[in-house]
Amino acid sequence: MKLAVKRRYAGPMGRDVLLGGLTATAVFGVFGFAPTEESMGEVQKIVYIHVPVAWFSLLALGVMAGAGLAYLARRDLRWDAWAEAAGETGWLCSTLTLLTGSLWAHEAWGTWWTWDPRLTSMFVLWMIYSGCLIVRGSLEDRHRRARAGSVLAVVGVVDLPLVVMATRWFRGIHPASPEMEPAMHVVLLLTVATFTALMFTVLARRYRQIGLERRLAELEDRLVAESG
Amino acid sequence: MPHVRNTAGAARKGRLKEDSVVEKLWWIVHKDLVSECRARRVWPAMLLLGAVVALILSMEMNAVPGEKPRLVSGFLWLATFFAGMLALDRSFVSEREEGCWESLRTYPVPPSTVYFAKLAVNVVALAALQAVLVPLFAALSDVPLLAHPAAMLSVSLLGNLGISSLGTLLGALAAGIRHGANLTALLVLPAAIPVVLAATEATSLAVAGDFGSAWWRWIQLLGIAAGLFVTAGWVLFDFVIEE
Repeated sequence: MKLAVKRRYAGPMGRDVLLGGLTATAVFGVFGFAPTEESMGEVQKIVYIHVPVAWFSLLALGVMAGAGLAYLARRDLRWDAWAEAAGETGWLCSTLTLLTGSLWAHEAWGTWWTWDPRLTSMFVLWMIYSGCLIVRGSLEDRHRRARAGSVLAVVGVVDLPLVVMATRWFRGIHPASPEMEPAMHVVLLLTVATFTALMFTVLARRYRQIGLERRLAELEDRLVAESG
Repeated sequence: MPHVRNTAGAARKGRLKEDSVVEKLWWIVHKDLVSECRARRVWPAMLLLGAVVALILSMEMNAVPGEKPRLVSGFLWLATFFAGMLALDRSFVSEREEGCWESLRTYPVPPSTVYFAKLAVNVVALAALQAVLVPLFAALSDVPLLAHPAAMLSVSLLGNLGISSLGTLLGALAAGIRHGANLTALLVLPAAIPVVLAATEATSLAVAGDFGSAWWRWIQLLGIAAGLFVTAGWVLFDFVIEE
């Protein structure tokens, strides 16, 4: 029994240490290595969290739609658990993208919000995630919930390129590829890599948690059935 | 709903001829249109909402004189979208409540046939709405929305198809959710943004008589969106109506 506990605990330890080291390096890179931007000052450092969360919110939509399609093809609820976990982490990241972007916009453009193409696209992405979460929360049957979530995820992933295309044809003020010093680029890439690893860990843990929740619900149902 | 046809010749031979898929599709469309003509549950409310939105928005149409055609085009498509969503919402919910949906599911046709039939009914409903709203907006704003009827017709048709195809798929999904009656607009709006945006831009360029590359680009986007959403509905509708 002791061995089992030790083995279960030793598994994630190595990954956690690696992830902790990577995060510490990224934090040092942002505050100790990357130069401070001249015009915006310290506020510019928001970009080191804004870009990674925006990147992951797009990545999570792909994971959610891929897992949704796999569920529709296989009818295996484990795929739906991946889709649900990706939907929740994606919603979190898109919310953080809107918040950090709004803070940056207030300093850079003097406004909290503007209907810029990229902002609009991110807002639409946030609404797609929110719609998925609302629909999932409204259905009790697991397979119906999985089907509805999968359909919405597939529609979302088909729709998003059209949203990006339509909104980019308007004139925007969002920087397409901001000019940066090489040191800033290195730190930005490091934060993107770190955050991607961090969020995939969160996604995997949430997947495992959803599996445990479902198993617990099944055991409770069985207990009620046997006692009744 | 007849799904076999007893023609005179077939009856003499004691056989029944089964309807083709197109005929079965037509029976669903026919059932919906006759039901609406008799009960008038959806269309009057949809037309009234569209007219009310048009009247309310007409107060703001003169706010920015230089941008009036663009503003009116945007208002026209917003009114079309929201009134159309009301129609979609009510049509699916009333079918669920009255048990018609269950009968429809037992009808011996593939789910895609039901989707295309529902899509056809929704396209007709939205076309009726546009037939009222376009002249109404033109009259209220003095913007010549009908100056180029062919261009306006093509924009209306493609925009209508984009909104209806998405609305049919997601409206059916929302109708299957408890208390989901008002979810349709929430689910369709983010996905329909490219359609509403492209239709607005194409309409305002058509009003200005500018049929250059920009107009064609928006028409292409409308066509791509309509094609993608119809395909998505065709493929995914089976999963939406499955109990």
